[in-house]
Amino acid sequence: MPTPLELIKKKRAEAVSRIIGKGYLSTKRVYVGMATCEIAAGSKDVMEVFQKAISRGLTDVYLSQKGCAGRCNLEPTVEVIEQGKNPVKYGRVDKERAQQIIERHLKNGQVIQEWVID
Amino acid sequence: MTATHRIILCDGTACINSGARKLTALLREQLAGHGLSDRVTIGLSGCLGMCEKGPIMVVNPGYTIYGGLVESDIPEIVEEHLVNGHPIARLAIQEDHLYNRFFRVFGDAKFFGKQMRITLRNCGIIDPENIDDYLSLRGYEALAKAITDLTPEQVIAEVEKSGLRGRGGAGFPTGRKWKLTAAEKATPKYVICNADEGDPGAFMDRSAIEGDPHTIVEGMAIGGYAVGAKTGVVYIRAEYPLAIQRIKKAIEDARAHGLLGENILGSGFSFDIEIRLGAGAFVCGEETALIHSVEGARGMPRPRPPYPAAVGLFGRPTLINNVETWANIPVIILDGANWFRTVGTENSKGTKVFALAGKVVNTGLIEVPMGTTLREIIYDVGGGIPFGKSFKAVQTGGPSGGCLPAPYLDTPIDYESLAKAGSIMGSGGMIVIDEDSCMVDVARFFLEFTQDESCGKCTPCREGTKRMLEILVRITEGKGQPGDMEKLERLGGMIKKASLCGLGQSAPNAVLSTIKNFREEYEEHINEKKCRAKACKSLIRYEITEKCIGCGACRRVCAAGAISGSAKSRHVIDQDKCIRCGMCFTACKVEAIAKV
Repeated sequence: MPTPLELIKKKRAEAVSRIIGKGYLSTKRVYVGMATCEIAAGSKDVMEVFQKAISRGLTDVYLSQKGCAGRCNLEPTVEVIEQGKNPVKYGRVDKERAQQIIERHLKNGQVIQEWVID
Repeated sequence: MTATHRIILCDGTACINSGARKLTALLREQLAGHGLSDRVTIGLSGCLGMCEKGPIMVVNPGYTIYGGLVESDIPEIVEEHLVNGHPIARLAIQEDHLYNRFFRVFGDAKFFGKQMRITLRNCGIIDPENIDDYLSLRGYEALAKAITDLTPEQVIAEVEKSGLRGRGGAGFPTGRKWKLTAAEKATPKYVICNADEGDPGAFMDRSAIEGDPHTIVEGMAIGGYAVGAKTGVVYIRAEYPLAIQRIKKAIEDARAHGLLGENILGSGFSFDIEIRLGAGAFVCGEETALIHSVEGARGMPRPRPPYPAAVGLFGRPTLINNVETWANIPVIILDGANWFRTVGTENSKGTKVFALAGKVVNTGLIEVPMGTTLREIIYDVGGGIPFGKSFKAVQTGGPSGGCLPAPYLDTPIDYESLAKAGSIMGSGGMIVIDEDSCMVDVARFFLEFTQDESCGKCTPCREGTKRMLEILVRITEGKGQPGDMEKLERLGGMIKKASLCGLGQSAPNAVLSTIKNFREEYEEHINEKKCRAKACKSLIRYEITEKCIGCGACRRVCAAGAISGSAKSRHVIDQDKCIRCGMCFTACKVEAIAKV
């Protein structure tokens, strides 16, 4: 009979493999803030832009929602995380900026410095 | 040029004492020598909680933590790690604290430098609606550890040893509360999460639940195991639909994984959670009023003792803690009380979450180690006061707290220091006030809120706050009388002494602290009928100066029809008609309208 601790470790391994199955190991992971505050600032529209891009063939991107990181005055926020690189955090992302992030950063690997939160 | 690396140096007291600042200077020198100054940026952080291994340096990307550094290590780090790209295993320390994960993503941003995320460790880095995300970051491992390796007494001992105190504001030692509830013989027992967040401008609990609901579920289950309760209740206000939706989903998902319900993980321990919605009364954040509300009765407080630990929900022993308190529990169990105790001050351990709002550049939700000063929060994290204005006061603790002026900026954040300064820790509201705000008006705003939210049970609170508000309104309207301040102080003292619950006992704080710290502003209002911040409408008037170019913009926006004048000549305001709405002031493009 496995102990609860052994069971939870098994559950964790299963959870990790499910996340990987959803494409977590893609080159780029994109997180869109989706707390009440972010949504009020317009993050649902931003999320839609990314979702549409993926359904229209943008590949090698893992898209996820996330809670509030606390940068109220810069919301909506979007993070682009790539293995081995500094995570890039964008602020005040609207539909237009989201589109630019897809075109310039996700497709061409070019960080859009002026929107990066420092 | 885009930076390739971002280095964080711990700037906590312990690391400074072991030579961190010397290393920082040396690092800058070395970087310049290698021509890397543009490519590697350096940031300072507050205490990273690894004091015994200091000085600490974190190299991003990769979040490589180097510890115990001496000067000769710096050239090696620069050459091997930064130039050649080989992290140095000899110097790296393996610190898998739960909070580290957040900083792998956000650690290089200045805003997060002085912060330390223990309770908000997952907020902003996981999908709150996916239990897999939480499980992958050692979620529910603390619960499993508790029910596998620890007896309920050992869990309580660990919480007690951690020094954690109630984050709802009062700061009662959490471990002692657990012990008291566990010692009660009556059954069934209950566990409650107080998510009835009501301070104006506060959103700590909402963000915590929306960003990481499973932490609360896990914390409550551990609490249930420790005190012998099978049922938990999350009391959350109905105004938080998304938070409700996410905690609901978290509970369902946890149930589906066998992490809630009967016989959790085959341990024989059973625990489940239900949700109760509050209708948004401020007083229901008070524990006895909250319990009445859960029972279906009117949300009014009752005298204590007996405390809920003995006589709580449905008359049974009840453990009630705030959202933030619960979120600390999994960390204390996994990382240990000994580690938790290294963060914070002597009598206040761990971190505190604040909703930083008002006249500050970076408004936001922050979490800082106890002992961080108000100045560090407002200037280092918050980025200071916008538009070059000057700082006037900071209001902590919401409507129950007080306003602290500039001399108190170096007050460290902990329960005792804030109380000594004349405010309270509260649940985490922090509002920064600049020179444009009138302190009498600020006091009036907060009292208006508490007066409105008074449940009416105690006469001093019900009637007293009403009378105080009348006097304050009178003062802001320029009808203040000599003796008003003394009357406010006397009434305030009485209300504090003669009210049953925290609402009444703290309602006069905003008024009393502003009288104490900004007495001259009250005196000006009463004696000279003057408002120095030019915020009290009745005490100011608008005038058009000779800068006027006669464009007519003010005349067109004036709803009262008080402005007249012909094109290209100076306009005038009819003071009898003017309602002091300020529309003309905003509309004027040449700053020709003056507030006097």
